[in-house]
Amino acid sequence: MQKKYKILIIDDSEEILKTYKKFFNKKKYLVSTASNGLDGLKILQTEQNDFDLIITDIVMPNISGVGIISIVKKKFPNILVIAITGWGEHPELLASEAEADLVLEKPIDLMELEKRMVNLIQSKTDQHL
Amino acid sequence: MQNGPPIIGVSPAIERIRDLINHVADTGLNIVISGETGVGKEVIAQNLYQKSPRRGKPFVKVNCAALPEGLLESELYGYERGAFTGAEQKRKGKFELANGGVLFLDEIGDMPILLQSKLLHVLQSGEFAPLGSEKEFKTDTWLIAATNHDLEDEIKKQKFREDLYYRLNIIKFYIPPLRERIEDIPHLINYYIEMYTSQYNNRSILQPNSRILQKLSDYHWPGNVRELQNVLKRVLVLGTWDEIIGELDYNSNRSTNTVSHEPNQAKTPQFTPQSLFFENGRAPSLESFSLKEIKKTALDKIEKEAIAYVLEKTGWNRSRASKILKISYKTLLYKISDLGIQPPLT
Ligand SMILES: Nc1ncnc2c1ncn2[C@@H]1O[C@H](COP(=O)(O)OP(=O)(O)OP(=O)(O)O)[C@@H](O)[C@H]1O
Ligand SMILES: [Mg+2]
Repeated sequence: MQKKYKILIIDDSEEILKTYKKFFNKKKYLVSTASNGLDGLKILQTEQNDFDLIITDIVMPNISGVGIISIVKKKFPNILVIAITGWGEHPELLASEAEADLVLEKPIDLMELEKRMVNLIQSKTDQHL
Repeated sequence: MQNGPPIIGVSPAIERIRDLINHVADTGLNIVISGETGVGKEVIAQNLYQKSPRRGKPFVKVNCAALPEGLLESELYGYERGAFTGAEQKRKGKFELANGGVLFLDEIGDMPILLQSKLLHVLQSGEFAPLGSEKEFKTDTWLIAATNHDLEDEIKKQKFREDLYYRLNIIKFYIPPLRERIEDIPHLINYYIEMYTSQYNNRSILQPNSRILQKLSDYHWPGNVRELQNVLKRVLVLGTWDEIIGELDYNSNRSTNTVSHEPNQAKTPQFTPQSLFFENGRAPSLESFSLKEIKKTALDKIEKEAIAYVLEKTGWNRSRASKILKISYKTLLYKISDLGIQPPLT
């Protein structure tokens, strides 16, 4: 991998955050995490437009994943967003309406997730070339 | 009111709520505010609105629990002339009136299920049709809803639509009950003592000492901040904390959500619109409606309740009562007979 991608992961489960973080750190990504939408939004605001991609859970306290997607697409349109929905939750539709770049359902296969992330990021940089 | 009514408090929960307001007030995303009665849901809604770009546009409130299904529907969406018997004039609904501004749906958990479907449709399409209208109209309203029900519970009981729940809950505020943030109590007391002191002719309330504060912190506050306000008003009337504290029902220290708290001893003044305007629980007929009359009735009623309350508290010691009420002994005697205040039967 040439450039180190910078990603933000938002999920209200500490367990999931830990797992993701470990996996993506190993893969040489720069990883930030937040356990709810508000904290995630604050990280985005302080670190400006610096992230390549956000992975967000949908059902969370305070600002939901759908809220995060809407806000990011408006304020930081360059950042890609992947939404992850839980079992038995139906807001996938809302996530796509809010224009998530990709919506995936749990359980997540991390290898697969990483592949699709790279595809997303690269097809976006290709567009810009 | 530059930024909405003040949100008093220093607890982490309140700090967090202020923070959240500042981060989402400009998003226009649907919001649900939940919490027990009297915790400040409407205060939060007002703050969101005042800090948003929609400030200055309409803020329209609809209480979904206050109207029967049919009325609530026409209230929200309006109707065309002839839409139903009695619809002689076309009438705008709240969605139309709130256009460009905020629609505050209070007690959303009480919205009948059929209307929930209709609301869902409006949120999905961004359009609504008044009753009896063929046409759909675009709406640009910021929806803020409040509830003191646990909506997730209502979903399980099939009283609330899950899809509507997700569509409304893009951002959620939860305001914890006052008993779970007792560090806010002294700040709220200070704020309201100051406000009431200037409102009621600079009549002063004693600051509670540490023993009283401890008692206030131990109390369950089922009516939350609103109940605290009522306590402070009663302290203002009586001029002492101890008796008021004595009235608080510490046995009911269990969560009973929406039920508002009634002290179990002397009947304290309760100034709701109903108690003021409605004789025997019935509304006056529209022909006999007169603001002047209402004002006089209301004032008499307030005076009567306040005087009876103080008399009862002083064991009908009229000279002490007149001092507390800050009126002359003679005036008190006159008012007792004029307002027909009866001594207890014993
Ligand atoms: N943090 C606060 N600081 C100052 N005043 C407050 C605060 N919270 C509530 N209040 C006051 O308490 C009263 C009740 O608040 P509000 O009407 O917002 O409650 P609510 O949650 O909407 O209650 P309900 O469910 O009964 O409608 C209001 O007069 C409000 O100004
Ligand atoms: Mg309210």
